[in-house]
Amino acid sequence: MANQNGSIYGLTILSPIIDDPKADISHDCAIREYLACLPRDSRSPFAVLSSTHLARLVVMDDVIFVGTPAKEEHLQSKYLVFESNLDGDLDTYLTRMATETRDMVDAVWGHCYGYPGTQNVQAFIAYMKKCQIDTTFFFADVNNQTVRSTLRALKVQASVAEFIGSHQGKLPEQLLAGFRAFYGNVENMAEPVPGHPQEPGTHESIPLQKTMAARHG
Amino acid sequence: MAKLNAADIQGFAMRGYTFPVARFVFLEIVDAPSGQALLRRVLDQVTTAERWDVKPDSTLNIAFTYQGLVRLGLPDATLLSFPVEFVQGMKARAEVLEDTGVSAPEKWEPAWRTGGVHAWVGIYAESPEVLQRRCKILDDLLAETGGAQVLHTQDASLLSDGGGKYCAKEHFGYTDGFGNPDFDGADRKSQPGQGKLTADGQWAPLATGEFLLGYADEAGELPVAPVPHLLAKNGTFMVYRKLHQNVATFREYLDEHGSKYAGGKEKLAAKFVGRWPDGTPLELSPERPDPSLVNDPARNTKFTYGSDPEGTRCPIGSHIRRAHPRDAFGFNGQLVNRRRIMRRGLPYGRYAQPGEPVTDAEEHGVIFMVLNASIFRQFEFVQQQWIQYGNDSHQGTDRDLLLGKHDHGGRFMIQGDTDPANPPYMCTGLRNFVELRGGEYFFMPSLTALALIATDAVDPR
Repeated sequence: MANQNGSIYGLTILSPIIDDPKADISHDCAIREYLACLPRDSRSPFAVLSSTHLARLVVMDDVIFVGTPAKEEHLQSKYLVFESNLDGDLDTYLTRMATETRDMVDAVWGHCYGYPGTQNVQAFIAYMKKCQIDTTFFFADVNNQTVRSTLRALKVQASVAEFIGSHQGKLPEQLLAGFRAFYGNVENMAEPVPGHPQEPGTHESIPLQKTMAARHG
Repeated sequence: MAKLNAADIQGFAMRGYTFPVARFVFLEIVDAPSGQALLRRVLDQVTTAERWDVKPDSTLNIAFTYQGLVRLGLPDATLLSFPVEFVQGMKARAEVLEDTGVSAPEKWEPAWRTGGVHAWVGIYAESPEVLQRRCKILDDLLAETGGAQVLHTQDASLLSDGGGKYCAKEHFGYTDGFGNPDFDGADRKSQPGQGKLTADGQWAPLATGEFLLGYADEAGELPVAPVPHLLAKNGTFMVYRKLHQNVATFREYLDEHGSKYAGGKEKLAAKFVGRWPDGTPLELSPERPDPSLVNDPARNTKFTYGSDPEGTRCPIGSHIRRAHPRDAFGFNGQLVNRRRIMRRGLPYGRYAQPGEPVTDAEEHGVIFMVLNASIFRQFEFVQQQWIQYGNDSHQGTDRDLLLGKHDHGGRFMIQGDTDPANPPYMCTGLRNFVELRGGEYFFMPSLTALALIATDAVDPR
C-alpha cells in the first residue's frame, strides 16, 4: 500500500485554500500567520497527537516556473499541504486530530474550501480523506516501531550503556546481582512521554543561523 | 579529464611537503593599494604544484580570509559570490562545529578572537635555519611595501624522537599523516585506499572538483565558487585549526583504562584510533603492530570494513573509521565520496617522552589544516556529523574519542568478541583531550587569481 511503510502510515493532504479578494487578510496569509506562531517544542499540537513521528504544514502558493524549456503551469488554487508520518490507522489519527487538537485544526483548515469543521467527526474524516493523495514515498526514520516503542528503546539503550559503564569488570556474582536489579528497573521503567523536551546532554539540533557577518569594509 | 596546469595551482593544495619545520604567518592587510603591491612582490615567491626535479629547500604559500579579500578591494559582486560559511568565518560557525565550552571563540588566542586575520602565509623548510632565511624574505617584502602587518605567527615542526631525529608522531604518541584522498589530475602515484571505492572493490581517484574549484565534483557539478570563473579555477578553500592537546589528561586516561582493559594499554590506544601507535591499521593487523605493513604504501591504507561489520577488529567509533568510513556505510562508499577532506598537519610544542612529567598547560598540539572545495559540505559535515555525533555510524550521540567535546560525560564503545584478549569494553567519563585554540577559513587562489588580485583586475562581469 502506497501510504504504508511497515507499521508507519504516510499521510499527505492537499486542501485548497479559499480565494476571497474581499477578505481583510487573505486566507493563505492568515494560515501562514497562525502557523508562524505555533509552538514547535513540547507545546506543539503534534506533541499532543503522540502517535506523530513527523508532521509538516505548508502553504503552497503555486508551482514555480523555472524558465524554459520548462512549461509554465499554475495551480487552480493555493493549497494547504499537510504531511504526517503516524502510527496506527488513519481513522483513529484523524479522530484524535478532530477531538484533541480541535482549536489548531479549526484555525488552520477553517481557511480551506469545503471544510466542515470538527464538530461532526465523521464529516471531518470524510473531508480529510477527500483531500488525501497517495504519499508513495516518505522518510522512514524507523521501521515497524511506534513513537512510543522508539522512545522506550532509546531509554533502554541509554540505561544499558549506563549499566555496562558502571558494572564492567565486576565479579560474576556482583554482575549477576546488578543485572537482576537493572532488569527489574527496566521492566518497571516509566513510559517515556512523546513530545517531551530532550534531556540535558542529548544531541540537539542546530537552530537556523540568521545572522551573516558579511560586513564589507 | 583535462590535465591540470600544475604551474597555476599552489603546491600546498596538491601535496604535503614533508618538510620538518614550518611557520604560519598571519597578516593584517593595511589597505588595497599597498596590499596589492605586497602581493605583486610575493607572487614569484609562491610555490606551485609543478613537479620538482630537485626538491627546493623551502616553500611559501598564501591564502586569504573573507575579510582579507574585502581589504584587498575585490569588487562587491565577487565578494557576494563566495560561499556563506567562508564569508562568515570559523568564529561565526562555532555553533555549527560545536566549538563551544573550552573550545569556544572567547577562549581562543587573541589573534583569532578579533577576526582581524586577513591572510595566511605558510612557509615550510628543510631546517630551522632555512626557515629563518625564507621568513626574512617575507619580512623584507612587508617592510618594503608596507602592505601588511604581522598579527600573529605560529611555528610548527615534526616532533623529535628523543634521539635528535624528527619523527612522524604527534603528542599522544601516534604516528600521523597516513592517507590523503587521491584525486584526478594530482601528480603523484595513486595509493590503494586513498580515493574512492569502485563497484569491483578497487580504489580510484576522486573527482578533481572535490578539492579544486572549477572542475566537476563527484556529483558531476561544479562546486560553489566565486565569480569570475578565472578567480576560482585552480583555487581551493582551506580550514586552519590550532588544536591543543591535553597530553597529561590523555596519558592519565589511557593509563587508568589500559590497566582495566584486558587487551592491555597499547591495544586500547590502538582501539581509540583504529591504528596502532606505530601506524599499523587495526583492520589489517588486529593483534599486534606490524612495521612491514606501516612501511608499505601499497598496503598501509588499503583496507575496508566490510568484513568487520561488528567492529571487533577496528571499533566502529574509532577515529579513522569515523573520519573516513570507506565502505562502512554501504553503497560502495558512495555516501562518503562527497565528504572527503585533504589534511595537512604539523605538531607544535616539544614532545614529552613517555614517562616524562607533563601537564595539560604546556604547549602541545597540532596545526590541523584541511583543503576542500566546499568547507560546508566536506569539513563542516565531517566535524559535525562524524566527529561530534555518532548517528551515521550507529553510535548514537557518542562523539569521536580524540576530538569530541566530552566534558567528562563522553563514552566510547570498543566492540569485542569471545577472545579474552579482545573483549568488549566501554570507555566512560571521556574528557576533552583536544581543545581548539583558534583558527579561520581561507581561500587559496591559483597563481592566475593571485595576479588578478594583485593587479586589481578581478572583474566579475
